[in-house]
Amino acid sequence: MKLSLSLPSLLPRRKAENPAARRAVHRLGAPEVHPRELDPMLIWSAVSLLMIGLVMVYSSSIATAEGLKYTGHQSTYYLVRHGVFLMIGAIIGAVAFQLPMRVWQQLSPHLFVGGVVLLILVVIPGIGREVNGASRWLPVGPLNFQPSEAMKLFAALYAADYTVRKLPHMASFKRAFLPMLGVVLLVGFLLLKEPDFGAFVVITAIAFGILFLGGINVRVFALLAVVALIGFMLLIWLSPYRRDRIFGFMDPFQDAFGKGYQLSHALIAFGRGEWFGVGLGASVEKLFYLPEAHTDFILAIIAEELGLVGVLVVIALFAMLVHRAFAIGRQAIDLEKFFAGLVAQGIGLWIGVQSFINMGVNMGLLPTKGLTLPLMSFGGSGIVANCLALAILLRIDWENRQIMRGGGA
Amino acid sequence: MKKRSVTFNHNPLLAKGLPVWRPRVVLLALLFGSFALVARAAYLQGVNDEFLQAKGESRYARVIEIPATRGKITDRHGTVLAASTPVKSIWAIPGDAKPTPAEVRKLAGLLDMDVRDLNHRLARDSDFVYLKRQVPPEVAEQVANMKLAGVHDQREYRRYYPGAEVMSHLLGFTGVDDHGQEGVELAYDSQLNGKPGSRRVIKDRRGQIVEDVESIRTPQEGKDIALSIDAKIQYLAYTALQNAMETYRAKAGSVVVLDSRTGEVLAMVNAPTYNPNNRESLSGAQLRNRAVTDTFEPGSVLKPIIAAMALESGKFRFDTVIDTGNGRMALANSTISDTKPHGRLTVAEVIQKSSNVGVVRMAMTFKPEEMWQVYDDLGLGSSLQLGFPGEASGRLRPASTWRPIEQATMAYGYGVSSSLMQLARTYLAFARDGDLIPVTLTRSEVPQLTGRRVFSAQTVRETRAMMEMVTQEGGTAIHGRVPGYRVAGKTGTSHKLEGAKYTSKYIASFVGLAPVSDPRLVVAVMIDEPAGKQYYGGQVAGPIFSNVMAGALRALSVPPDAPITPMQVARSKEELAARGRM
Repeated sequence: MKLSLSLPSLLPRRKAENPAARRAVHRLGAPEVHPRELDPMLIWSAVSLLMIGLVMVYSSSIATAEGLKYTGHQSTYYLVRHGVFLMIGAIIGAVAFQLPMRVWQQLSPHLFVGGVVLLILVVIPGIGREVNGASRWLPVGPLNFQPSEAMKLFAALYAADYTVRKLPHMASFKRAFLPMLGVVLLVGFLLLKEPDFGAFVVITAIAFGILFLGGINVRVFALLAVVALIGFMLLIWLSPYRRDRIFGFMDPFQDAFGKGYQLSHALIAFGRGEWFGVGLGASVEKLFYLPEAHTDFILAIIAEELGLVGVLVVIALFAMLVHRAFAIGRQAIDLEKFFAGLVAQGIGLWIGVQSFINMGVNMGLLPTKGLTLPLMSFGGSGIVANCLALAILLRIDWENRQIMRGGGA
Repeated sequence: MKKRSVTFNHNPLLAKGLPVWRPRVVLLALLFGSFALVARAAYLQGVNDEFLQAKGESRYARVIEIPATRGKITDRHGTVLAASTPVKSIWAIPGDAKPTPAEVRKLAGLLDMDVRDLNHRLARDSDFVYLKRQVPPEVAEQVANMKLAGVHDQREYRRYYPGAEVMSHLLGFTGVDDHGQEGVELAYDSQLNGKPGSRRVIKDRRGQIVEDVESIRTPQEGKDIALSIDAKIQYLAYTALQNAMETYRAKAGSVVVLDSRTGEVLAMVNAPTYNPNNRESLSGAQLRNRAVTDTFEPGSVLKPIIAAMALESGKFRFDTVIDTGNGRMALANSTISDTKPHGRLTVAEVIQKSSNVGVVRMAMTFKPEEMWQVYDDLGLGSSLQLGFPGEASGRLRPASTWRPIEQATMAYGYGVSSSLMQLARTYLAFARDGDLIPVTLTRSEVPQLTGRRVFSAQTVRETRAMMEMVTQEGGTAIHGRVPGYRVAGKTGTSHKLEGAKYTSKYIASFVGLAPVSDPRLVVAVMIDEPAGKQYYGGQVAGPIFSNVMAGALRALSVPPDAPITPMQVARSKEELAARGRM
């Protein structure tokens, strides 16, 4: 509907313009274009996702916020908070952008150790804050901080630094692989203690992904992949909590009011959206049916309100973002900025893997696990961590451009 | 950009360590993932969407009922006697409702409920609980303004009865579900009740309607019903009966007014009564519509029937003399007695003085079957088919079981029972030209020209003349007179039967018609257990009859047919004497 309405208004304007004149303007303007300081594709995809996220957080939370006593029946409760988090993320990102990658490399082991300490604090009863049986938050004044979100970035920084340090030994199982395995197992242990299985999967993917990109022996990596697969299988089979989630995902309508409740409602939201959606704000699933509509299941609401078109736009934006991250990383590596390059690709991997898992969960392709959609879902720690990662990506890109323009970095 | 990148200064070791293909593999894997997501989304939203939407419908699409407005009940002139006004019912989903104690107190205050009762309801283990039904719209709005989660309202109708106590037995009332439970409300429920419509809507999980999908059936409003009742006469009868109840400290009473041309019931009141708008403390005694549900032995009220039979048979004329002797008559092993000895009486005087012996002498000239036939023709022992709940048919045993003494007592109204409405109807035969028509509660425009003939017109005219004497000097009901109109009637004073024994409790009754020259109305009065010294039908029921009849005749603008008093004074003594002898 929206498309058909907007098309006629666009068409006459295009026709009115003289194509020759446009080309001339373009030719004239081209040499005067200021050399770009930042990657426009990256910025546009990221900003689009953040803004769509802001709108959809509001749309998906409005009914819940109005209906809950917890929010004081304010319909803008989540919108206001999400906006504030975005601003905090922008400020922290602006500060982070000022730090050279050299400094980030020096900081990375410390940040990682700091992250591990926070993860330990979170699982200590009395310090960590428990919500719905999971102790994932640290109370900081009026806010709750989720260390596992920061840990994803720290893991990318640390794994990149680690890989750069171990580059000469990448073929060695003992020297390159085992220490990282140990570190991941430690972090994994802490995350499963919370429990935060989703963060564990993402951090494992980031750490070993960077190791893979860093050139670790393929046979070792294949072995790791098999071991990891068996490990995950075991973890899933050993915990009834996780096992239930798996079964819910296989056929949500079999136990639609029990284990399959959330997923079945997510799928219904997709089905209701059809091609162009029921219209922004018109979702029924967000009216108390679909739990976590504004966090983990925001894509389902996008699917319902904006249709397949909306979902494809989101997927395309993520693909563009991840592609740019890898391109920036590749460029840095080509410029022999190995740490920066691996960090950029690690961030790309993080955003890519987490968004893929989240969307896969929303669509019933993957078992339900508590993972937000990066840049879009409601959640302060996640949004700030995402903004920080974007700032670092932009910094890497900026440094690349400085080198290419002959400047030193 | 990649092409521009410089590779010649790469450390060979490092270049080997960061191969170009690996990020491509990773990107490819992620791209593959994107394709999987796109394919899955397309499947969910473009292929499997109907199945998913059906699943969704089953969860939040609901068919809701749209209540139809119940029809109005009006009297014969269109005065509203019962109407439905919109109200709201407050209900809750206990699982969703988590009000604070302060909110509970406020809600309880608004709903006029006990806080503990409210908490108890909110704690119930169910998905739906009524907090309070039928609250005024203003209150419901105040509750809605509290914006309590899990507390909702639904539109309903409440029946309001402007006539209150005056019409209560006649109209009955509806239950909370808007279905008739008593009286006309029940009798005509299927007509008054509309057919509720239904719509398919989408509700959110808390039960609020968020989208109107389609209308399945539009509601059919209930039909209005115009009763035969005349509100003015009904009110008149009510007031007269209430006054009498106080004066005679009676247990109960009823008055029925019939239009003899059409068989329409113009008024029907009972005491004790109740206010249908406030039914909190109702007893069974108040609820009974005695005029149709309660039967009693009518006593002497039946005597004119025997007299009419006697005239009709040709065995007696109105001036045939019957010797009632000392007022005692032996029959089988029993004695039939009069209140006092009357000696020799004409048939007319037997009716005027209400002599049991005289009536029995006439009755015993008939076979039981003949008497039964007339009683049956007059509708005794069979239901009136008014459609009223609990309508009594009375008792008239088959003639083959009558022993002579029973036939005798039945002649003066014992051993047979009927409701007041049935009695009033038998008198329609006397008010008309000997034919009987059915009584009706709904307005009928057309006069009933012919009914079932029971007596000849001549017989009826003579019987009416005898019954007119009842209200004249020497009759049993001089209090039943109506100024300006000639009135005919008959009193009844019967002992109440309790168990198998007659007690010294009485039922006083009077059934009469007016104007005698061209009868228009039949009024029947019954007073149950007058507690004072007066208990005779003429003394107790007569004045009520007179009151109601006078008012009703005036209300209907029936022209007076009696010579007014000064003219009576001017009449010759002979004429008066002649009339007196009749």
